[in-house]
Amino acid sequence: MMTVAVQMLLMPLVAFLVGLVLVLFMRRLRARIERRVGPPLLQPVYDIVKLYGKRSQISHGPMHEISIMMVVGGVIAVVLFLPVPGMQGLAAHGDLITLVYLLMVPSLGLALGVGQCANPNGSIGISRALTAMVGYDIPLMLVVAGVAIAYGTTSLPQILAMQGGTWGVFQMPLLALAMLIATYGMLAKEPFEIYTAPAEIATGPMVEMGGKFMGALFVMQCFQIYTAGALFTVLFLGGGASWPGFLLKVFAVAAIPLTLTNLFPRYRAERVLHWMWKWPTGIALLGLALIMLR
Amino acid sequence: MAGKTIPIESDPNTEVACRDVGGEERSLLRRVVDQFADHCRARSLFVLHYCTGCGAIELPPSITARFDLERMGIQPMATPRQADILLITGYLAVKTLKRVILTYEQMPGPKYVVGFGSCTINGGMYWHSYATIKQLGNYIPVELYIAGCMPRPEAIQQMFLELMARIDRGEARAWEDYYRRYDAYLAQQQSLFGTRWEGPTDVVAEARRYGLLEHQTLGPHTAHLERYAPYHRELGVPLADKRGSGSLV
Repeated sequence: MMTVAVQMLLMPLVAFLVGLVLVLFMRRLRARIERRVGPPLLQPVYDIVKLYGKRSQISHGPMHEISIMMVVGGVIAVVLFLPVPGMQGLAAHGDLITLVYLLMVPSLGLALGVGQCANPNGSIGISRALTAMVGYDIPLMLVVAGVAIAYGTTSLPQILAMQGGTWGVFQMPLLALAMLIATYGMLAKEPFEIYTAPAEIATGPMVEMGGKFMGALFVMQCFQIYTAGALFTVLFLGGGASWPGFLLKVFAVAAIPLTLTNLFPRYRAERVLHWMWKWPTGIALLGLALIMLR
Repeated sequence: MAGKTIPIESDPNTEVACRDVGGEERSLLRRVVDQFADHCRARSLFVLHYCTGCGAIELPPSITARFDLERMGIQPMATPRQADILLITGYLAVKTLKRVILTYEQMPGPKYVVGFGSCTINGGMYWHSYATIKQLGNYIPVELYIAGCMPRPEAIQQMFLELMARIDRGEARAWEDYYRRYDAYLAQQQSLFGTRWEGPTDVVAEARRYGLLEHQTLGPHTAHLERYAPYHRELGVPLADKRGSGSLV
């Protein structure tokens, strides 16, 4: 049995490596759907090394530099609370509520930093990012409440143990659907891509991020896609006894938003909020009611 | 980046073998790291398209299904801060040249400018126009030109392959020239825009940061920028009096 300290080093490393493959998977998938070949195998590594090798010429101020650490630190902290095969990390010490709280840290960090660049595109972008967060967090919290009520616990290892017989997705399909949509919103892919929107607000919060800052955001993206897949897998697909099974589930879950995104253009900012508060929230409320009536 | 190496085979008594080891001659580890970085740089190129000219129409086929530049790690980017390549597709009016220079100065190094089409090389079919510039290379350092009016996607691909090969060999260093000879570039810019021309980026401070501040960086033309020094000081931007060289008094 590995000590928690070793696990705390290994878990982000594994998450990052899986995240790199997921980013490649995302780009290849998009390329194949568009009948292109797509980037070579090591493309995510090339991008990150190149970005970290750039010589950033200016500083937007201390808050901008601290915030990027908050962004990467936030996504790494989330990974520590997600139990994976063979490693539980801090999952026994924190619970689902802690994890959902930590999920918000990167967006808040970005908001603090982007505020200091004084770029109007950045400010619009970050206000949209927080708006989108308000949109997907409500269904997400409803799902978390539903799962906690159904299993009578918020501890992720216990939730995993209780899914030994039947996966959560079969016990509460409505909540799983709501969670999938909330995850889609969290990944900010079209049609929920309101805050990146390269053609409209020039990538929003990322507008002033060059070199190492952009590199850190690429690293964040790796963690983000991994977290989205792994969280759904842990809550609804019974986690995994072994790594191949677990990774298969993570990739399958991630493939759903990453494929659907090619079908859609972008919603306007307020339409995302309307849609998120209508459909996934409605589905989650219905699922929650079914669980409480059971 | 290719640096000079100490010639091992030379006679130990010669001047060459006894000279001090310069900053360019790095350790083996450093050279390996630099080569790896160049390898990655060559395979991950983020392009900022400056598309006021007609050449922009050749770019959609290059990045979509037919030719798919993503195979070579080339992606379009939205802002100069994120980009490595500034692709100037066609003619530049004097007014748009200002925007190009402001954009170029915001890009973090190493950065590469590509002049696309004959308009950027010699004015092309706009030779007689009073409003367009003739040679882009006078105002910002251009790494590569693509000849043609207009070049086809195959030519764009050829350019990218050539650029990748150069970056891989550590030879794509035209961007350093802007900092080494800033005064000459600024002279050309001032000949168009007047001596009151200035951008928000402090190029001289950057040249110092990159370690590229040389005797041709400063001169009579950068002296005109001095009038903005109080403005920069109010903003807290480190500038003028630290410039070292006495030529600016």
